[in-house]
Amino acid sequence: MSRNQSLTSNVDWGLLIVFFLMLIMGVANVYSVAYNEEAPNIFDFSQKYGKQILWVGFSLFLGLLVFLIDSDIYRKFAIPIYLFCIVLLIVVLGMPAKNGAHAWLGIGSLGIQPAEFAKIGTAIALGSYINSVNVKQQNVTTVLLANAIMLIPMVLILLQPDAGSFLVFTSFLFVMYREGLTYDPIILKLVNQIPGIKFKSTWLGSHFIPILFVVVFLSVITLLMSNNVLTFEFWPGLEIPGFIGVILTLIIISLVSYVILRWISARRDKRRVTFIVLIGFLMASLISTSVNFGFQGLASHQKERIELFLGLREDPDVDDYNRNRAMAAVGSGGLSGKGYRNASLSSVESNHVPESETDFIFCPLAEEWGFFGSIVVVVLFLFMLLRIVAIAERQKSRFTRVYAYSVAMIIFIHFAVNIGMNIGFAPVIGIPLPFFSYGGSSMMSFSMMMFILLKLDSQRNTVLS
Amino acid sequence: MNTDSRRYVIVIFFIVVAVIYGTRLFYMQVIDESWTLRAQEIAEKRVLIVPPRGIVKDRNGKKIVVNKTYYNLMMVEKNIKNFDTVAFAKLIGWTPERVKYRFKEIVHDEGYDKDPVTKKRTVPRYQKMRAYAFVKEMTTDEMHAIAPYLVKFPGFYEEITSMRSYPYANAANILGYVSEVNAEEVAADRFYRSGDNIGRAGIERFYESDLRGRKGIHYVVTSAMNNAIKPYANGKYDTTALQGPVLNLSVDIELQAYGEKLMQNKRGCIVAIEPSTGEILSMVSAPTFDPNLFVGRRSTSANYPRLSLDPAKPLYPRPLQAEYPPGSIFKLLQSVIALQEGVIDVNTGFPCNKSLVGCHNHPNARNIMEAVQMSCNPYYYQAVRRVIQGGRKKGLYADAEAGLELWSKYMHSFGLGHALETDIPGVRGGLIPDPNYYDNLFPSKKRPYGHHRWAFSTIRSISIGQGEVKVTPLQMANIAALIANRGWFYTPHLVKSVGKKGPLPIYKKKNYSMAKAVHFDPIIEGMRRVVNENGGTARRARIQDIVVCGKTGTAQNPQGEDHSVFIAFAPMDNPKIAISVYVENAGAGGSWAAPIASLIIEKYLTNKITDPEKEKRILEANLLNVVKKGK
Ligand SMILES: [Zn+2]
Repeated sequence: MSRNQSLTSNVDWGLLIVFFLMLIMGVANVYSVAYNEEAPNIFDFSQKYGKQILWVGFSLFLGLLVFLIDSDIYRKFAIPIYLFCIVLLIVVLGMPAKNGAHAWLGIGSLGIQPAEFAKIGTAIALGSYINSVNVKQQNVTTVLLANAIMLIPMVLILLQPDAGSFLVFTSFLFVMYREGLTYDPIILKLVNQIPGIKFKSTWLGSHFIPILFVVVFLSVITLLMSNNVLTFEFWPGLEIPGFIGVILTLIIISLVSYVILRWISARRDKRRVTFIVLIGFLMASLISTSVNFGFQGLASHQKERIELFLGLREDPDVDDYNRNRAMAAVGSGGLSGKGYRNASLSSVESNHVPESETDFIFCPLAEEWGFFGSIVVVVLFLFMLLRIVAIAERQKSRFTRVYAYSVAMIIFIHFAVNIGMNIGFAPVIGIPLPFFSYGGSSMMSFSMMMFILLKLDSQRNTVLS
Repeated sequence: MNTDSRRYVIVIFFIVVAVIYGTRLFYMQVIDESWTLRAQEIAEKRVLIVPPRGIVKDRNGKKIVVNKTYYNLMMVEKNIKNFDTVAFAKLIGWTPERVKYRFKEIVHDEGYDKDPVTKKRTVPRYQKMRAYAFVKEMTTDEMHAIAPYLVKFPGFYEEITSMRSYPYANAANILGYVSEVNAEEVAADRFYRSGDNIGRAGIERFYESDLRGRKGIHYVVTSAMNNAIKPYANGKYDTTALQGPVLNLSVDIELQAYGEKLMQNKRGCIVAIEPSTGEILSMVSAPTFDPNLFVGRRSTSANYPRLSLDPAKPLYPRPLQAEYPPGSIFKLLQSVIALQEGVIDVNTGFPCNKSLVGCHNHPNARNIMEAVQMSCNPYYYQAVRRVIQGGRKKGLYADAEAGLELWSKYMHSFGLGHALETDIPGVRGGLIPDPNYYDNLFPSKKRPYGHHRWAFSTIRSISIGQGEVKVTPLQMANIAALIANRGWFYTPHLVKSVGKKGPLPIYKKKNYSMAKAVHFDPIIEGMRRVVNENGGTARRARIQDIVVCGKTGTAQNPQGEDHSVFIAFAPMDNPKIAISVYVENAGAGGSWAAPIASLIIEKYLTNKITDPEKEKRILEANLLNVVKKGK
């Protein structure tokens, strides 16, 4: 088949449509939140919505370029691209600080954030590296090298400092986990030095990454909920302690995921699914229970310090009471929202929720569209993530699979942390919501990330290795 | 090692997080309403729009209470930036110390929340985000002088407000006044917010719930800077402010002004009622004051102490609260009771036996008309004795008890002994003694006469309206109306209509006395003679071409010269006005009270004065210093 045909014929339309849906919703949302009566034209480029449209247009242009270029170059030039990103990350440290961080390269509003593009570079480099070595023979060197590819940009980002981007780079741990690159060889090396012990692998070492994430996630949520009492508008007087709520949620999730997993997994795996869900539920309950009672056992000033550190609690006396107002904006949306351009808390004009067009972009969306709007966003992201996993798993090329998983995990962390901080499930960390937040760097980097993925996927049949 | 199944770990991760987030969103947005309340607290503001008070018109449609525009200089502490105390003080013409003190005062005036257990005040109710009036009641000129410079002081702005204004400077005792609510009133009634006005006396207070109108509520979305951005939900939940309805008084403000003029340099009062409706045409309390003195804080605090300490008691609402013994006027009612009870008839005569009770020299009264005309004390001693000792019970004391019981019921049916339900606060009831009163309360609570320890001879002074009997001028005027109507009255009232609604329902109900109409005719004839025949005690009340019926009285005053009393109505047929006049320390009723009453009657009925000499004599009289008895 000819190149021109393959340009569109093998594109994953599902992913592309979700991507465009998000772009449209994102622009509409920025228009609503930053609406200025004196410049009502959405194409007014002096306004944030006008600029956002410019960024989207430019990103789509980049996407077109990506589509015209053969995806082989990423494989071939993986190391130069990666090194270029590292150089940018070093150069940016010499730039004047903006909002306390050396994160911006360029002049004025035309600046870019190298960290955003370093994600792509790192994903490509990691894919290239994992593709090149035979990682099935686990050894300490491969694990350390793969980790180094991830850690070098992370350290540079930490120097800026940019906690959000730093957190996003942990995505690659999952990618390595999926590819079998875990800390198991290191643990084995230590464990096997004990005389008489000769393990081939340890379960903890192999699954260390997801376990770590589950423990952290669950602990944070348990901490948050342990001082809360759930109340119900339709049933006044019904009050459920937050911790019981967490356990109830775990039961519900276990049942839901059990049903879903039984449905999607192969016949021979069905018994394993039951076992995994049961063990998962018990472990999660155990963690949650111990965190809860451990936390409740602390003195109140210690509790407070932990909560403040995790950003789970803010001092109501301090002006910077951001998350509380963000949560009020989300929570006041109700079932169907206050209506488009009717956000009373999170519009830029009212300014009750700071950064509502960037980091807290989910606020106006949830406030104006209510639960219906919020759940549509969550479902769209879930669909996008599952779609990317599906794409990843159909690749013959390990490079593309690693790249696809990297994209999925990066979007996932952005999604989880950004929306998490709007609903009180994550500390306030400056991290944009992909395709929704106002800003050129994130719009361009996520679009390029997406187009490279689509391009790689569309050529899945033409590459062999 | 096959790691393909690890994809499920990641997929589960995605799904679980999405489900948790979806659940959390559902809980936050749909189930838990606390965030909605928090959002309202943050970004919505109820702005109360206070309407101007309802205005008041007199019976001829003249505006007598209106609103005048003033300004408050408002302050929102949260918005104050780089405040230059000295420059600001200079702008508003204060000292910097006073500006600082005012800040503290505002915080303090808001009050404090109290600890429910210890009752100690804890947190000030003052809020930095709220607007408070820093300078109140500035005139338009005062505000215009500083308004251009206010931009230099962020956090300060002007707010338009309105205050009462009284174009006529009369009827202060009727209208009352308004002033700011206090913390208790705010706590007691949710309508009020600090800074609102409330009616304090007179009809301003009685009709407060009408005059204050309905507040409008505007819901606005506010920004983090506390600026209103736009109406909440396009004003869907807003309500408009509604000014209170016009209060149409029954009072004739010209007549009121004339009465106040006649009463200048005198203590006392005039109450005039339209008998056919019970509408009060005029209610003068002398000395009086200009109601404009009590407009606004500054003026009130300057004038209130002076007026309240004045020995002539200008703030004392005499028509409602001065309880005088009615004197000879009471004989009119005694006559009606005696006739109704049948203990005398029209032609019953009694000798003027001065050994029973003192009297002036006059021929014996041969009938009831002459008794009224000559006001013979022994006549009424004997007639009332027949009422009280009516032989209803065996034994002198039991008989007197039954008689007094009946007698006091008559008096109550005439509107005496209890407060009339007139539409103004502070109405007193006077006193009509009943058996319980002498059994338990008189002469003192500690040592009363006691049960069956008194008879007519003990209480005889009530027969001539002296002693224990007490009547207010309003009640006396109502008696004149009752007699004019021959036995019934509408409760006297000041407001003809509230907006388009008529008077209160109680003022549409006729109150019938226990006496039949026929028994009033001879009394009225006697009253005609009092004024219009030689030998009557109120010749000074005569008016050319108008038949005035009246009765003089002298209210005994143990503290000084007796009070001059006169009640009357006119014309004799189809009466249009009933009146009572009290002039304190003015001696016999005929000399001062009667001519004043006649001037009011003539002014009201004809709007002119045929006897300028009479008017001149009254206007020039100064009775303020006649306190001691001239004996
Ligand atoms: Zn006599």
